[in-house]
Amino acid sequence: MPPAGKTRPLERLASASAVYGKCIAADFNNVQKDKCMTEFLKLKECYMAAYKKR
Amino acid sequence: MKPFSPRAFISPPSIRHGIRAHRRHYAVQAPGAPTLEVFSRSQKWLQKERAASNADVSRQADYLRDEVASRLCERLLDINRHFPKVLDLGANACNIAAALTRPNPDPDPSKPVSAPLANRIGELTCAESSRTLLHRDASLPFNSAIPIVREVLPTEEQLPYAANTFDAVISSLSLHWINDLPSVLSQINSILKPDAPFLGVMLGGDSLYELRTSLQLAELSLRGGVSTRTSPLADVRDVGGLLQSAGFKLLTVDVDDIIVEYPSSFALMADLQAMGESNAVLGREQGPIRRDVLVAAEAIYRELHAEGRQELPATFRLIYMIGWKEGPNQSKPLPRGSGMVSIKEILEGGGGDGGGGGKK
Repeated sequence: MPPAGKTRPLERLASASAVYGKCIAADFNNVQKDKCMTEFLKLKECYMAAYKKR
Repeated sequence: MKPFSPRAFISPPSIRHGIRAHRRHYAVQAPGAPTLEVFSRSQKWLQKERAASNADVSRQADYLRDEVASRLCERLLDINRHFPKVLDLGANACNIAAALTRPNPDPDPSKPVSAPLANRIGELTCAESSRTLLHRDASLPFNSAIPIVREVLPTEEQLPYAANTFDAVISSLSLHWINDLPSVLSQINSILKPDAPFLGVMLGGDSLYELRTSLQLAELSLRGGVSTRTSPLADVRDVGGLLQSAGFKLLTVDVDDIIVEYPSSFALMADLQAMGESNAVLGREQGPIRRDVLVAAEAIYRELHAEGRQELPATFRLIYMIGWKEGPNQSKPLPRGSGMVSIKEILEGGGGDGGGGGKK
């Protein structure tokens, strides 16, 4: 994986989205609260970075 | 500081003087069928008004209604009749009227081009509860090709028409917002003339299951529970029974899936909003969906349903129904057990013989 600073925010967002999606989809019959929270927080950070006000 | 107490705002219980004779009553159950309320009618009306007030965006999101209306009109093509009075119930933006004026609803090179169905219709009454949506396309050219009467209904659940009025009733993509479907269907049956058809199409079954499941998974993981984000929809099996109990004869029910691809789940939701098809279930959570839930749902939607592609598929399952009001000279199904040929033999035994018999 390339270092975080080198890629553009939207590309990082796509990969973080895929990581979170895979984490939920791996066992989607057994989802409870706060499952995949670390992955989600990373995804949220990416969204915040991509859509932050300049 | 004294803790806040609501007691100060509640009037004290009135003190009754003297002894009151205590009368006892029998427990009474109110007669009549209970009124079913699943959808908020005022909310649906508001959504349609808002969506139609932006005519350009609203017209862009009409692809589904136009497509479904033309597919429904193809079915009307099979009925070789002249219809002096037709009702379009839940007309939305009169999409059916527009479809009826197009020359060839069934583009098949082997068949000759058929004239627009509008020639066979004497007068089309478009009934709809949202005034803005109904009159959105009133200035477009198709209005001059078919005699249209636009009528705003206070509610689509009580039809203000006399019995035996219409030669056909058509309804496209609005029956799925009706609270009391059995009652509306029997009202349709009563306003039809004898031996007149009802053609309807509604969303049902697994419509938008991708969006529903991904929102559910996102809410489960972030909030620990699910809430109602999509409507409960009728299933194909229910529709047959509903039509039958409303008194329709010679039923035809079939299902058609339209899969539309969207760039993202946000685009799908924006289009649903522009159609005026947002959530209007009474028990819905008030206020918008939380943004983190939307973001998570987008990721889950992409992972579960995109299958490695850029576009997200969204399924719209359409249930088409045709029923006829009972008439005097209508052909009736034969009584049970009167068949002379076993369909099992035709389907299984001897392909050549059975096939030849079928073509005659």
